[in-house]
Amino acid sequence: MQSEPSRGRPDHNISMWGAPGSGKTTLLAALFIALTRRNDDWKIVGSDPASSDYLIERTNALSRGKVFPEASMALERYHWTLIGPAPQKTGLWGRKAKPGPPARIGLGMFDAPGGLFGTGRRPAGGVGAPDGAGDPRRQELLDSLEQSRGIVFLFDPIREFTFGDAFDHMHAPLARLAERMLASGEFTDGKLPHHIAVCVTKFDDPRVLETAEKRRLLTVDLDDPYRLPRVASEDARELFHELCQVSASGNADMVLNALDQYFHPDRIRFFATSSIGFYVDRRTKRFDWDDFQNMVPGEADEDSRIRGQLHPINVVEPMLWLGQRLAAIRPSTEIS
Amino acid sequence: MPEPDRDLSRKAIAQALADLADTAPLTLVEVATDGVTTFLLQRDGNGSPRGRSWSATWPDLAGERGWDADPAETRKAVLRASRAPSPFGEVILVAASSGDPKAEQALDWLRAAHPAAQVLRAEAPVAALVREVMADDPLTRSYELVVVLIDPGTDRPRLTSRQLFPLGSRPGARTRVSVRCEAVGPNGTAFAVVTWQGPEPRLLSVQSAPLAPGRYEVTAELVRPGRVSFTGLPALSPDPRDWNQLVSALPDRLPGGLGPAHLVCAVEVCGADDQVAERLSRARQVINLASGELGDLLQVSLLAYAAHSYDASAPEFPVRVPAWKAGAGEALDALDALEEQGAVARGYPYHPQAAQVEDMLAVVAERLDWADPTPTVVLTVGGRPPHPARTDPSMILPCPRRHDWRKLLASLRKRQGTVLGAICDQATDQTHQAWHGIGATALAHLEAVDVRGLAAALGLVASSPVHLPFPLLDETE
Ligand SMILES: Nc1nc2c(ncn2[C@@H]2O[C@H](COP(=O)(O)OP(=O)(O)O)[C@@H](O)[C@H]2O)c(=O)[nH]1
Ligand SMILES: [Mg+2]
Repeated sequence: MQSEPSRGRPDHNISMWGAPGSGKTTLLAALFIALTRRNDDWKIVGSDPASSDYLIERTNALSRGKVFPEASMALERYHWTLIGPAPQKTGLWGRKAKPGPPARIGLGMFDAPGGLFGTGRRPAGGVGAPDGAGDPRRQELLDSLEQSRGIVFLFDPIREFTFGDAFDHMHAPLARLAERMLASGEFTDGKLPHHIAVCVTKFDDPRVLETAEKRRLLTVDLDDPYRLPRVASEDARELFHELCQVSASGNADMVLNALDQYFHPDRIRFFATSSIGFYVDRRTKRFDWDDFQNMVPGEADEDSRIRGQLHPINVVEPMLWLGQRLAAIRPSTEIS
Repeated sequence: MPEPDRDLSRKAIAQALADLADTAPLTLVEVATDGVTTFLLQRDGNGSPRGRSWSATWPDLAGERGWDADPAETRKAVLRASRAPSPFGEVILVAASSGDPKAEQALDWLRAAHPAAQVLRAEAPVAALVREVMADDPLTRSYELVVVLIDPGTDRPRLTSRQLFPLGSRPGARTRVSVRCEAVGPNGTAFAVVTWQGPEPRLLSVQSAPLAPGRYEVTAELVRPGRVSFTGLPALSPDPRDWNQLVSALPDRLPGGLGPAHLVCAVEVCGADDQVAERLSRARQVINLASGELGDLLQVSLLAYAAHSYDASAPEFPVRVPAWKAGAGEALDALDALEEQGAVARGYPYHPQAAQVEDMLAVVAERLDWADPTPTVVLTVGGRPPHPARTDPSMILPCPRRHDWRKLLASLRKRQGTVLGAICDQATDQTHQAWHGIGATALAHLEAVDVRGLAAALGLVASSPVHLPFPLLDETE
């Protein structure tokens, strides 16, 4: 575990953004766990001691206490850095003679404010996001988006079943961002310069898995010992579309339109994500179609719990995709 | 005139009445000093004699012209007054005068007109004698009381009749009948007397009494033909219902007669202590009530179930069966023990949304002898729903043993003589839908359960009896 704050400015920034309760905090904690388990060169560290503490605390809650991390009222104060592997010191023919610095990607997390169409509907216990252009939190999100070239947007299909406000949460910030980018001359080809990873969260929920199964979107990685079902990235857009059909407001389809409107098709990628993954019996160590639910809802005011081990699905992948794409862009902030 | 004459006349009239066919009337013509009285006697549909009479004095018959002025006309008038046109009906002439010339004349004309007629000598007036004979007429039909009998096999009530007075009975005859009334009806219980001729009974009389439930020793007395009185009942009054209404008021089926029964009580013993105590005490009430009513005919099984644990470090309490097909006393002792143990905390609150209902149903289904026809009541007392057989959107974890409560309930419901009842923590409109299956026959709310009503709905105690339009024949005598 790396608690040492990373020094130096990140090469790129990623803004993680989604409605309150869409699973951002859980995703962050799961990311930390997943990166630790993967044992490859990527790691996540706090950009300052408070952020490190926050990360450690949430991760512990998730992995040991089997409880979901508590909602944070002031999430946007924390910042983390994803540190990638250093480029190879020497290639076989020494094409890269000079050891480069490791990729550093700043990560900020934001509760999406209710948009222009803000409905005022909030999930119980969720973090309220006041509307209004003067809201400093909206300002912060916009600042962060402007400085980022990578976006992780969390779409919570369960919330969409009940509230149907994903479009509300997404559209207004995108429109404002486009305004700013236009003003600074960065809206050249009519699209934002950003890459966006759209994470359909809570893939482990029976309703979501069932939708994927009905559309025959499930695959199993051959080298996955647990045989957990997944949706390949190419099919995740279809899953997203399918989940939009059961949206409470019927507006979810507009999310797809907005994405296509603002982002270059090459820069959008969908992920069917689950921070906690499916339940797998300790003894059989195999995914069981009859018994895969890993989240146990709490009674009345109790918190939900996690039943078994965490098996994060598509938690690292969106970050790596963004990391790789952003690393390929010459960092504008790099000083030689 | 000496008594023997009166006796002879009486016997002759009685005999003629007894011989009276259903169709033809008996005509009795009394020729007295002051005129002619004709009696027309007939049997009605119930075989009771009915009589009418007409009187005419000599002046009536002779009119203005006088008795002797036109004898042919006077003769005609006398014959008309005798009203005996029927060639079939029997005619009796009664000479009640002593030597009155007009009477002798009239008698002669009548005799000539009815050569086959018997001629009796009697003292006037003969009306009293006719009435006496009619009142004393022995029954030509059997008189029977309409009663309800319950077919022992099917519990279906059916109408039948119980003989009160056989053919030939005379007024003053008495018969005792024991009847029962099960429930008060708005129009009371009808005491209907029918006569039988051929395949169909014929209604003679209906009167109703506001009977309270109970057994009645009724004495029926034949007052006179066509009239039966009852004693041993509250005051009888005319019944407003006609025969068809009375018959159609008979229910198709009676609430089941009580026989042997097997009560399987399954109680959820996890949750809050006072909730568990409340459930156990409801189970106790039902067992007590049923055993009070069924006595040794009741067998009781007791099961206790709790929550599933999904935490390997906290092994769960499996479903327990403290009593199986035991006497009520033994089951109540087992219930005492459960009460002492209190709520099961193990496995709780790890999975608070559901309980091992499906495991309990599996145990019941496995333990029941499927060839045993004894009526069986499976009563579940609990609050949480069952676990699904597999992960589903309910967000309730699947049963670790993959028992399927839907299938188990369906097979129990198909088992012969098996009914499912439930007492649920939540009000019936708020309960998890599974409880509507668990309590398919009767579902009650823990806090507001009418224990007797529930037990009755499940056939453990007699339900409030249905009103029968006629008395039930009490065959215990
Ligand atoms: N089924 C499921 N539920 C999740 C997952 N992640 C989060 N949740 C649920 O969503 C709630 C909110 O998550 P949180 O991470 O606090 O959302 P945030 O407000 O966006 O930070 C949690 O309490 C969980 O109940 C997941 O991967 N699967
Ligand atoms: Mg959160």
